[in-house]
Amino acid sequence: MLYFVCLIVLPICGIYVQSLSEGWSAFWESIAEPLAWKAVMLTIKLAVIATLINMALGTMIGWVLIRYRFPGRTILNSLVDLPFALPTAVGGLLILLLLGPGSLVGGLAQAIGIQIVFHEPAIVVAMVFVTFPFVIRAIQPLLEELDKSEEEAAYTLGASKAKTFFQVILPTMAPGIASGAMLAFSRGLAEFGAVVLVAGNIPGKTLVASVFIFGEIESNNPQGAAAVSVLLLTLSFLILWIVSMIQSRRSGQ
Amino acid sequence: MMGIKKGRSGAARAIALLVLLLIIAGCSGNSGNNGNEDGGETPAEGQVTLVIGAYSVVKDAFAELLPEFKQKWLEETGQTVVFQESYEASGTQARAIAGGFEADVAVLAMEGDIDKVEDAGFITKNWRSPNDGMITESIVVLGTRPGNPLGISDWEDLAADGVKVLYPNPKTSGGAQWDINAIYGAGLKKSEDLNGEKSPEYAKQFLKSIHHNVESLDKSGRASMAAFEYGVGDVIVTYENELLARIAKGIPYDIVIPKSTIRIQNPAAVVDKNVDKHGTRDVAEAFVAFLHSPEAQRKFVEYGFRAVNEEVAKETADRYVVPQELFDISYLGGWQHVRETLYSKRGVWYQVLADL
Repeated sequence: MLYFVCLIVLPICGIYVQSLSEGWSAFWESIAEPLAWKAVMLTIKLAVIATLINMALGTMIGWVLIRYRFPGRTILNSLVDLPFALPTAVGGLLILLLLGPGSLVGGLAQAIGIQIVFHEPAIVVAMVFVTFPFVIRAIQPLLEELDKSEEEAAYTLGASKAKTFFQVILPTMAPGIASGAMLAFSRGLAEFGAVVLVAGNIPGKTLVASVFIFGEIESNNPQGAAAVSVLLLTLSFLILWIVSMIQSRRSGQ
Repeated sequence: MMGIKKGRSGAARAIALLVLLLIIAGCSGNSGNNGNEDGGETPAEGQVTLVIGAYSVVKDAFAELLPEFKQKWLEETGQTVVFQESYEASGTQARAIAGGFEADVAVLAMEGDIDKVEDAGFITKNWRSPNDGMITESIVVLGTRPGNPLGISDWEDLAADGVKVLYPNPKTSGGAQWDINAIYGAGLKKSEDLNGEKSPEYAKQFLKSIHHNVESLDKSGRASMAAFEYGVGDVIVTYENELLARIAKGIPYDIVIPKSTIRIQNPAAVVDKNVDKHGTRDVAEAFVAFLHSPEAQRKFVEYGFRAVNEEVAKETADRYVVPQELFDISYLGGWQHVRETLYSKRGVWYQVLADL
């Protein structure tokens, strides 16, 4: 408990105190400031997109990794967690190298008029990359638990593949997808290392909240930085709280 | 219960260990400093340690200059100088020195950063001499792809449709303020040419029109150059010395010198409080004087800077184009005024970003 208080609760309380250090009006001024506001909205928007992508991709990958046996499966399975082990700046660098103007993909995209690097798509890619493991890891245990006979029963009773998937398999996975997605979303909100490299970081256009906070600290405005942090923290706290509610309901069943 | 108690005493032990380590580190640090003082008091022999807190751009030039000074000082006094060097972004370095990093000599990108150290009470004597305390000069220029495929010739071209511009964020990189000052000042010059008086509003619109084309706002000048070399953008706004140094390393850039641009001046100062503490005033002052000497100035020119020493400036005049309308920070009203009008909370830079 002591560790928990020292390492988690105290710093977080500190941020709340810091953000209010110059009173409520200064706090509101920092939040309502158009550049700060735009940065937060942009972050939420892109994190939602990244989460949706991860829900779709993660479910499919998790499914394949559990259900199919093929050579290299265990290696792939351990690769899933790598985005957690890699410093996120390295992830950002890789995105720059693979999608940047000098690369094949970047060149093609540019030819058809899509800007990836230094614009919103690159930020989404960065967020997807760093939050990639969450959904997969959340649904894997559920899929393992899923009784194969239930699925087989559905088939023998004449259900089509699609119907089996949507009525038998998906409901089992749903809590996992939801909690994984929530975690991915909170992590996406806070992502810094990868995003700072691939976003243009232009305030009001491609500046996300975490980089905005960094800029405020660099330019000696800790109160403004703390105010935006508080907004993110509160949002993340609500999300994580919902996740634990979902999980406790699941284990209660 | 037992488990909790055990955990608590474990934590206490860990903290005690940490404190102990800090004390040991502090002691050894102190003894090191005492060693320096002894060296300073016996000038005839021994060693003297000189701590240099510099901004990152001078690193290459200093790699040559420091051994030269070491040799010179050894011949003059018989003392061996041991350098402790730290290179950081200028603003970070200034904050570090003001926050207690015991540098004897501060070499920074701009006067405003020396002011930070001075305001924190570390510089007590007048450092603005000779050459106003400046050791190097440069100008803000435009770097383009080899052959200048877009035909960029002046600031206005940066505002044209489809031109992608890079410059660093002046909020995170103090050095980047030179770049923004150059554009803003060029706007003032232009309004003066058109209407006979400086118009801050015109200059703001001018800066805004260029900012509209900015592709990426990197956190430092070096980061901008890295992005440019990686293939991002068409034009980079940066210092002439930075581009010359990159060209010397074989990286292709074309340098375009705008008609009106700002003169960059980089200061060096003895940090009085620290040299008095270390007893290194003599060697620190000699080092700063050395940086102003013709031989050091020639080295700086080799690394792409413009000399402040008149003699060397004349010698190397043929290397450098002087822009038609070169202005310096005083044209914008001095650093104090620039900080208050451009970079304050609701200043010009903010208005440009927020599109007000």
